[in-house]
Amino acid sequence: MRALNELNEESNSSDQKLDILGKVCPMTFVYTKLALEKMNSGEVLEVILDFPAAVKNVPDNCQRQNIGELLDIKVIENGKKKWVLTIKKI
Amino acid sequence: MNFSEEQIERYSRQIVLEEIGGIGQEKLLKSKVTIIGCGGLGSPVAYYLTAAGIGHIKLIDFDKVDLSNLHRQILHFTDDVNKEKTKSAYEKLHKLNPDVNIEIVKEILLPENIKEILKGSDFVIDGSDNIPTKMLINDACVNLKIPFTIAGVVRFNGQVITVIPNKKTACYRCVFGDITEHEPSMSCSQAGIIGLIPGIVGCIQANEAIKSILGIGDLIINRMLFLDLLKYRFSFIKIERNENCVSCGDKSLDLVETLDYRIGDACFE
Repeated sequence: MRALNELNEESNSSDQKLDILGKVCPMTFVYTKLALEKMNSGEVLEVILDFPAAVKNVPDNCQRQNIGELLDIKVIENGKKKWVLTIKKI
Repeated sequence: MNFSEEQIERYSRQIVLEEIGGIGQEKLLKSKVTIIGCGGLGSPVAYYLTAAGIGHIKLIDFDKVDLSNLHRQILHFTDDVNKEKTKSAYEKLHKLNPDVNIEIVKEILLPENIKEILKGSDFVIDGSDNIPTKMLINDACVNLKIPFTIAGVVRFNGQVITVIPNKKTACYRCVFGDITEHEPSMSCSQAGIIGLIPGIVGCIQANEAIKSILGIGDLIINRMLFLDLLKYRFSFIKIERNENCVSCGDKSLDLVETLDYRIGDACFE
Protein backbone atom coordinates (compact mmCIF):
# COMPACT_ATOMS: atom_id res chain seq x y z
CA MET A 1 0.00 0.00 0.00
CA ARG A 2 2.89 2.37 0.75
CA ALA A 3 4.10 1.95 -2.80
CA LEU A 4 0.67 2.79 -4.11
CA ASN A 5 0.63 6.01 -2.08
CA GLU A 6 4.02 6.95 -3.48
CA LEU A 7 2.57 6.25 -6.88
CA ASN A 8 -0.43 8.46 -6.25
CA GLU A 9 1.86 11.33 -5.35
CA GLU A 10 3.89 10.81 -8.49
CA SER A 11 1.05 10.76 -10.95
CA ASN A 12 -2.66 11.32 -11.02
CA SER A 13 -3.18 10.85 -14.72
CA SER A 14 -4.55 7.29 -14.52
CA ASP A 15 -8.21 6.29 -14.17
CA GLN A 16 -7.49 3.14 -12.15
CA LYS A 17 -4.61 1.83 -10.11
CA LEU A 18 -3.82 -1.81 -9.43
CA ASP A 19 -1.41 -3.05 -6.79
CA ILE A 20 -0.25 -6.58 -7.55
CA LEU A 21 3.00 -6.51 -5.58
CA GLY A 22 3.90 -10.06 -4.61
CA LYS A 23 1.85 -11.63 -7.42
CA VAL A 24 3.63 -13.80 -9.98
CA CYS A 25 2.79 -14.83 -13.56
CA PRO A 26 0.23 -15.69 -14.78
CA MET A 27 -1.71 -14.09 -11.90
CA THR A 28 -0.17 -10.71 -12.77
CA PHE A 29 -1.92 -10.84 -16.15
CA VAL A 30 -5.12 -12.29 -14.66
CA TYR A 31 -5.50 -9.36 -12.24
CA THR A 32 -4.57 -6.83 -14.93
CA LYS A 33 -7.08 -8.35 -17.37
CA LEU A 34 -9.87 -8.34 -14.78
CA ALA A 35 -9.15 -4.67 -14.02
CA LEU A 36 -9.12 -3.72 -17.70
CA GLU A 37 -12.38 -5.58 -18.37
CA LYS A 38 -14.14 -3.28 -15.90
CA MET A 39 -12.84 -0.12 -17.59
CA ASN A 40 -14.01 1.82 -20.61
CA SER A 41 -12.09 2.01 -23.84
CA GLY A 42 -9.41 4.73 -23.70
CA GLU A 43 -9.15 4.78 -19.91
CA VAL A 44 -5.73 4.31 -18.36
CA LEU A 45 -4.68 1.71 -15.79
CA GLU A 46 -1.54 1.94 -13.69
CA VAL A 47 -0.25 -1.40 -12.46
CA ILE A 48 2.43 -1.64 -9.80
CA LEU A 49 4.20 -4.99 -9.61
CA ASP A 50 7.48 -6.56 -8.54
CA PHE A 51 7.67 -9.80 -10.53
CA PRO A 52 10.37 -9.15 -13.16
CA ALA A 53 8.96 -11.43 -15.91
CA ALA A 54 5.59 -9.70 -15.71
CA VAL A 55 7.09 -6.44 -17.01
CA LYS A 56 7.20 -8.09 -20.42
CA ASN A 57 4.47 -10.75 -20.06
CA VAL A 58 1.63 -8.50 -18.93
CA PRO A 59 1.91 -5.92 -21.77
CA ASP A 60 2.57 -8.69 -24.33
CA ASN A 61 -0.59 -10.58 -23.31
CA CYS A 62 -2.67 -7.38 -23.20
CA GLN A 63 -1.52 -6.62 -26.72
CA ARG A 64 -2.07 -10.17 -28.00
CA GLN A 65 -5.62 -10.28 -26.63
CA ASN A 66 -6.26 -6.75 -27.85
CA ILE A 67 -7.41 -5.49 -24.45
CA GLY A 68 -4.66 -3.04 -23.49
CA GLU A 69 -1.84 -1.01 -24.97
CA LEU A 70 1.35 -0.28 -23.02
CA LEU A 71 1.99 3.46 -22.74
CA ASP A 72 4.82 3.60 -20.24
CA ILE A 73 7.05 1.63 -17.86
CA LYS A 74 8.54 3.27 -14.77
CA VAL A 75 11.06 1.63 -12.46
CA ILE A 76 11.02 2.32 -8.72
CA GLU A 77 14.45 1.48 -7.29
CA ASN A 78 14.09 2.28 -3.56
CA GLY A 79 14.04 -1.05 -1.68
CA LYS A 80 12.95 -4.06 -3.72
CA LYS A 81 12.73 -3.19 -7.39
CA LYS A 82 9.20 -2.41 -8.57
CA TRP A 83 7.67 -1.40 -11.86
CA VAL A 84 4.73 0.78 -12.77
CA LEU A 85 3.09 -0.16 -16.06
CA THR A 86 0.77 2.36 -17.66
CA ILE A 87 -1.73 0.54 -19.87
CA LYS A 88 -4.53 2.04 -21.97
CA LYS A 89 -7.71 0.00 -22.30
CA ILE A 90 -8.36 -0.75 -25.96
CA MET B 1 -19.30 -9.37 -10.59
CA ASN B 2 -16.59 -9.22 -7.96
CA PHE B 3 -14.67 -12.46 -7.79
CA SER B 4 -13.20 -13.62 -4.50
CA GLU B 5 -9.42 -14.09 -4.35
CA GLU B 6 -10.07 -17.83 -4.28
CA GLN B 7 -12.22 -17.68 -7.41
CA ILE B 8 -9.61 -15.65 -9.27
CA GLU B 9 -6.98 -18.26 -8.39
CA ARG B 10 -9.27 -21.25 -9.10
CA TYR B 11 -10.40 -20.02 -12.51
CA SER B 12 -7.19 -18.17 -13.43
CA ARG B 13 -6.28 -20.46 -16.33
CA GLN B 14 -9.71 -19.91 -17.88
CA ILE B 15 -9.69 -16.18 -17.23
CA VAL B 16 -6.34 -16.00 -19.05
CA LEU B 17 -8.00 -17.42 -22.17
CA GLU B 18 -8.84 -14.73 -24.69
CA GLU B 19 -12.23 -16.40 -25.36
CA ILE B 20 -13.26 -16.48 -21.68
CA GLY B 21 -11.74 -13.83 -19.40
CA GLY B 22 -13.54 -12.52 -16.35
CA ILE B 23 -16.63 -11.76 -18.44
CA GLY B 24 -16.91 -15.36 -19.66
CA GLN B 25 -16.19 -16.77 -16.22
CA GLU B 26 -19.02 -14.70 -14.80
CA LYS B 27 -21.35 -16.11 -17.49
CA LEU B 28 -20.32 -19.66 -16.54
CA LEU B 29 -20.88 -18.99 -12.85
CA LYS B 30 -24.35 -17.66 -13.60
CA SER B 31 -25.37 -20.54 -15.85
CA LYS B 32 -27.32 -23.71 -15.21
CA VAL B 33 -26.58 -27.04 -16.89
CA THR B 34 -28.61 -30.22 -16.49
CA ILE B 35 -26.83 -33.53 -16.95
CA ILE B 36 -28.92 -36.63 -17.51
CA GLY B 37 -27.13 -39.67 -16.20
CA CYS B 38 -24.18 -39.92 -13.80
CA GLY B 39 -22.57 -42.79 -15.68
CA GLY B 40 -19.88 -43.07 -18.33
CA LEU B 41 -20.74 -39.83 -20.12
CA GLY B 42 -22.20 -37.95 -17.17
CA SER B 43 -19.13 -38.51 -14.98
CA PRO B 44 -16.56 -36.61 -17.08
CA VAL B 45 -19.17 -34.03 -18.11
CA ALA B 46 -20.09 -33.29 -14.49
CA TYR B 47 -16.46 -33.35 -13.40
CA TYR B 48 -15.23 -30.81 -15.94
CA LEU B 49 -18.27 -28.54 -15.74
CA THR B 50 -18.01 -28.46 -11.95
CA ALA B 51 -14.30 -27.71 -12.22
CA ALA B 52 -14.98 -24.99 -14.80
CA GLY B 53 -17.35 -23.23 -12.42
CA ILE B 54 -20.75 -23.74 -14.02
CA GLY B 55 -22.74 -22.12 -11.22
CA HIS B 56 -25.65 -24.54 -11.04
CA ILE B 57 -25.44 -28.18 -12.10
CA LYS B 58 -28.43 -30.48 -11.95
CA LEU B 59 -27.70 -34.22 -12.00
CA ILE B 60 -30.39 -36.75 -12.88
CA ASP B 61 -30.00 -40.47 -12.20
CA PHE B 62 -32.13 -43.14 -10.55
CA ASP B 63 -29.54 -45.93 -10.59
CA LYS B 64 -27.05 -47.33 -8.09
CA VAL B 65 -23.33 -47.88 -8.63
CA ASP B 66 -22.43 -51.36 -9.85
CA LEU B 67 -18.95 -52.86 -9.79
CA SER B 68 -19.09 -53.27 -13.58
CA ASN B 69 -19.58 -49.49 -13.96
CA LEU B 70 -16.24 -48.54 -12.49
CA HIS B 71 -14.05 -49.08 -15.55
CA ARG B 72 -15.73 -46.12 -17.25
CA GLN B 73 -17.84 -44.14 -14.76
CA ILE B 74 -15.02 -42.14 -13.22
CA LEU B 75 -17.01 -40.33 -10.53
CA HIS B 76 -17.62 -43.59 -8.68
CA PHE B 77 -15.09 -45.54 -6.61
CA THR B 78 -15.01 -49.10 -5.32
CA ASP B 79 -16.51 -48.23 -1.94
CA ASP B 80 -19.42 -46.52 -3.71
CA VAL B 81 -20.81 -49.82 -5.05
CA ASN B 82 -24.54 -50.03 -4.26
CA LYS B 83 -24.65 -46.30 -3.41
CA GLU B 84 -27.00 -44.07 -5.37
CA LYS B 85 -25.08 -42.60 -8.30
CA THR B 86 -26.32 -39.07 -7.64
CA LYS B 87 -25.08 -39.26 -4.03
CA SER B 88 -21.73 -40.71 -5.05
CA ALA B 89 -21.37 -38.03 -7.74
CA TYR B 90 -22.37 -35.23 -5.37
CA GLU B 91 -19.74 -36.25 -2.80
CA LYS B 92 -16.90 -36.01 -5.34
CA LEU B 93 -18.14 -32.91 -7.14
CA HIS B 94 -18.77 -30.92 -3.98
CA LYS B 95 -15.23 -31.67 -2.83
CA LEU B 96 -13.87 -30.69 -6.23
CA ASN B 97 -15.55 -27.28 -6.26
CA PRO B 98 -17.74 -26.11 -3.35
CA ASP B 99 -18.41 -22.96 -5.39
CA VAL B 100 -20.91 -24.88 -7.52
CA ASN B 101 -24.52 -25.48 -6.53
CA ILE B 102 -25.03 -29.17 -7.28
CA GLU B 103 -28.63 -30.28 -7.30
CA ILE B 104 -29.46 -33.96 -7.51
CA VAL B 105 -32.66 -35.57 -8.78
CA LYS B 106 -33.15 -39.28 -8.08
CA GLU B 107 -35.81 -39.91 -10.69
CA ILE B 108 -36.28 -41.72 -13.97
CA LEU B 109 -36.76 -39.19 -16.72
CA LEU B 110 -40.26 -39.68 -18.09
CA PRO B 111 -42.63 -37.70 -20.32
CA GLU B 112 -44.50 -36.78 -17.14
CA ASN B 113 -41.57 -35.12 -15.34
CA ILE B 114 -39.02 -34.15 -17.98
CA LYS B 115 -40.21 -30.61 -18.70
CA GLU B 116 -40.36 -29.66 -15.05
CA ILE B 117 -36.86 -31.09 -14.53
CA LEU B 118 -35.25 -29.39 -17.55
CA LYS B 119 -37.04 -26.05 -17.32
CA GLY B 120 -34.71 -23.11 -16.68
CA SER B 121 -31.57 -24.89 -17.91
CA ASP B 122 -29.18 -22.98 -20.17
CA PHE B 123 -27.91 -26.25 -21.62
CA VAL B 124 -28.85 -29.92 -21.30
CA ILE B 125 -26.48 -32.86 -21.68
CA ASP B 126 -27.66 -36.35 -22.50
CA GLY B 127 -25.59 -39.00 -20.78
CA SER B 128 -28.31 -41.62 -20.87
CA ASP B 129 -27.75 -45.19 -21.96
CA ASN B 130 -30.81 -45.80 -24.14
CA ILE B 131 -32.41 -44.47 -27.31
CA PRO B 132 -35.93 -43.84 -25.94
CA THR B 133 -34.50 -41.49 -23.27
CA LYS B 134 -32.37 -39.72 -25.88
CA MET B 135 -35.48 -39.20 -28.03
CA LEU B 136 -37.40 -37.90 -25.02
CA ILE B 137 -34.59 -35.46 -24.17
CA ASN B 138 -34.49 -34.34 -27.81
CA ASP B 139 -38.23 -33.73 -27.99
CA ALA B 140 -38.45 -31.96 -24.63
CA CYS B 141 -35.47 -29.67 -25.33
CA VAL B 142 -36.77 -28.85 -28.82
CA ASN B 143 -40.12 -27.96 -27.26
CA LEU B 144 -38.57 -25.92 -24.41
CA LYS B 145 -36.04 -24.38 -26.85
CA ILE B 146 -33.06 -25.33 -24.67
CA PRO B 147 -29.72 -26.01 -26.41
CA PHE B 148 -28.56 -29.58 -25.84
CA THR B 149 -26.12 -32.28 -26.86
CA ILE B 150 -26.80 -35.98 -27.30
CA ALA B 151 -24.09 -38.62 -27.44
CA GLY B 152 -23.83 -42.35 -27.80
CA VAL B 153 -20.95 -44.67 -26.97
CA VAL B 154 -20.38 -48.36 -27.52
CA ARG B 155 -17.32 -50.60 -28.08
CA PHE B 156 -14.56 -48.20 -29.31
CA ASN B 157 -17.06 -45.86 -30.97
CA GLY B 158 -18.78 -42.64 -30.13
CA GLN B 159 -21.06 -40.09 -31.73
CA VAL B 160 -22.11 -36.58 -30.72
CA ILE B 161 -24.59 -34.02 -31.99
CA THR B 162 -25.56 -30.62 -30.58
CA VAL B 163 -28.90 -28.98 -31.26
CA ILE B 164 -29.75 -25.29 -30.89
CA PRO B 165 -33.56 -25.15 -31.18
CA ASN B 166 -33.69 -21.35 -31.42
CA LYS B 167 -31.47 -21.51 -34.50
CA LYS B 168 -33.50 -24.39 -35.94
CA THR B 169 -30.51 -26.69 -36.34
CA ALA B 170 -31.05 -30.35 -37.22
CA CYS B 171 -32.23 -32.42 -34.26
CA TYR B 172 -31.56 -36.00 -33.17
CA ARG B 173 -34.80 -37.12 -34.80
CA CYS B 174 -33.79 -35.47 -38.10
CA VAL B 175 -31.00 -38.08 -38.06
CA PHE B 176 -32.70 -41.12 -36.57
CA GLY B 177 -36.38 -40.51 -37.26
CA ASP B 178 -39.22 -42.13 -35.41
CA ILE B 179 -38.22 -44.41 -32.60
CA THR B 180 -41.09 -46.78 -33.21
CA GLU B 181 -39.41 -47.79 -36.48
CA HIS B 182 -36.35 -49.08 -34.65
CA GLU B 183 -35.70 -52.21 -32.65
CA PRO B 184 -33.98 -51.52 -29.34
CA SER B 185 -30.25 -51.48 -30.05
CA MET B 186 -27.66 -53.44 -28.13
CA SER B 187 -26.68 -51.93 -24.81
CA CYS B 188 -23.16 -51.56 -23.42
CA SER B 189 -23.58 -54.65 -21.31
CA GLN B 190 -24.06 -56.84 -24.38
CA ALA B 191 -21.86 -55.08 -26.92
CA GLY B 192 -19.03 -54.13 -24.55
CA ILE B 193 -17.32 -50.78 -24.24
CA ILE B 194 -13.79 -49.52 -23.73
CA GLY B 195 -13.75 -47.43 -20.56
CA LEU B 196 -12.21 -44.32 -22.03
CA ILE B 197 -14.59 -43.74 -24.94
CA PRO B 198 -17.27 -42.08 -22.77
CA GLY B 199 -14.40 -40.07 -21.23
CA ILE B 200 -13.43 -38.60 -24.58
CA VAL B 201 -17.00 -38.13 -25.80
CA GLY B 202 -18.13 -36.71 -22.44
CA CYS B 203 -15.32 -34.15 -22.58
CA ILE B 204 -16.56 -33.10 -26.02
CA GLN B 205 -20.08 -32.71 -24.61
CA ALA B 206 -18.76 -30.58 -21.73
CA ASN B 207 -16.90 -28.47 -24.28
CA GLU B 208 -20.13 -28.01 -26.25
CA ALA B 209 -21.90 -26.78 -23.10
CA ILE B 210 -19.18 -24.26 -22.27
CA LYS B 211 -18.96 -23.00 -25.86
CA SER B 212 -22.72 -22.73 -26.23
CA ILE B 213 -23.06 -20.75 -22.99
CA LEU B 214 -20.21 -18.42 -23.96
CA GLY B 215 -21.13 -18.20 -27.64
CA ILE B 216 -17.60 -19.05 -28.78
CA GLY B 217 -16.15 -21.31 -31.47
CA ASP B 218 -18.05 -23.78 -33.63
CA LEU B 219 -20.54 -26.26 -32.25
CA ILE B 220 -21.37 -29.73 -33.60
CA ILE B 221 -24.56 -28.47 -35.22
CA ASN B 222 -26.05 -29.58 -38.51
CA ARG B 223 -23.45 -32.34 -38.45
CA MET B 224 -22.62 -35.33 -36.34
CA LEU B 225 -19.19 -36.28 -35.03
CA PHE B 226 -18.24 -39.94 -35.26
CA LEU B 227 -15.24 -41.30 -33.38
CA ASP B 228 -13.64 -44.68 -33.97
CA LEU B 229 -10.80 -45.21 -31.52
CA LEU B 230 -9.78 -48.54 -32.98
CA LYS B 231 -8.86 -47.04 -36.32
CA TYR B 232 -8.50 -43.44 -35.09
CA ARG B 233 -11.09 -42.14 -37.45
CA PHE B 234 -12.71 -38.87 -36.43
CA SER B 235 -15.24 -37.72 -38.96
CA PHE B 236 -18.11 -35.29 -39.33
CA ILE B 237 -21.21 -36.25 -41.27
CA LYS B 238 -23.29 -33.35 -42.53
CA ILE B 239 -26.90 -33.40 -41.32
CA GLU B 240 -29.73 -31.36 -42.76
CA ARG B 241 -32.74 -30.31 -40.77
CA ASN B 242 -35.84 -32.17 -41.92
CA GLU B 243 -38.68 -29.67 -42.39
CA ASN B 244 -41.10 -32.56 -41.87
CA CYS B 245 -39.33 -33.88 -38.76
CA VAL B 246 -41.89 -35.09 -36.23
CA SER B 247 -39.98 -33.29 -33.46
CA CYS B 248 -38.50 -30.06 -34.84
CA GLY B 249 -40.36 -29.80 -38.16
CA ASP B 250 -42.41 -26.80 -39.16
CA LYS B 251 -45.70 -28.50 -38.33
CA SER B 252 -44.50 -30.72 -35.50
CA LEU B 253 -46.56 -31.41 -32.41
CA ASP B 254 -45.36 -31.52 -28.84
CA LEU B 255 -44.30 -35.17 -28.84
CA VAL B 256 -43.64 -35.27 -25.09
CA GLU B 257 -47.37 -34.88 -24.54
CA THR B 258 -48.43 -37.49 -27.07
CA LEU B 259 -45.81 -40.21 -27.60
CA ASP B 260 -45.27 -43.47 -25.73
CA TYR B 261 -41.49 -43.58 -25.35
CA ARG B 262 -41.36 -47.05 -23.74
CA ILE B 263 -38.75 -45.71 -21.28
CA GLY B 264 -39.66 -48.46 -18.82
CA ASP B 265 -38.71 -51.16 -21.34
CA ALA B 266 -35.37 -49.50 -21.98
CA CYS B 267 -34.44 -48.77 -18.36
CA PHE B 268 -35.28 -52.10 -16.81
CA GLU B 269 -34.38 -54.63 -19.49
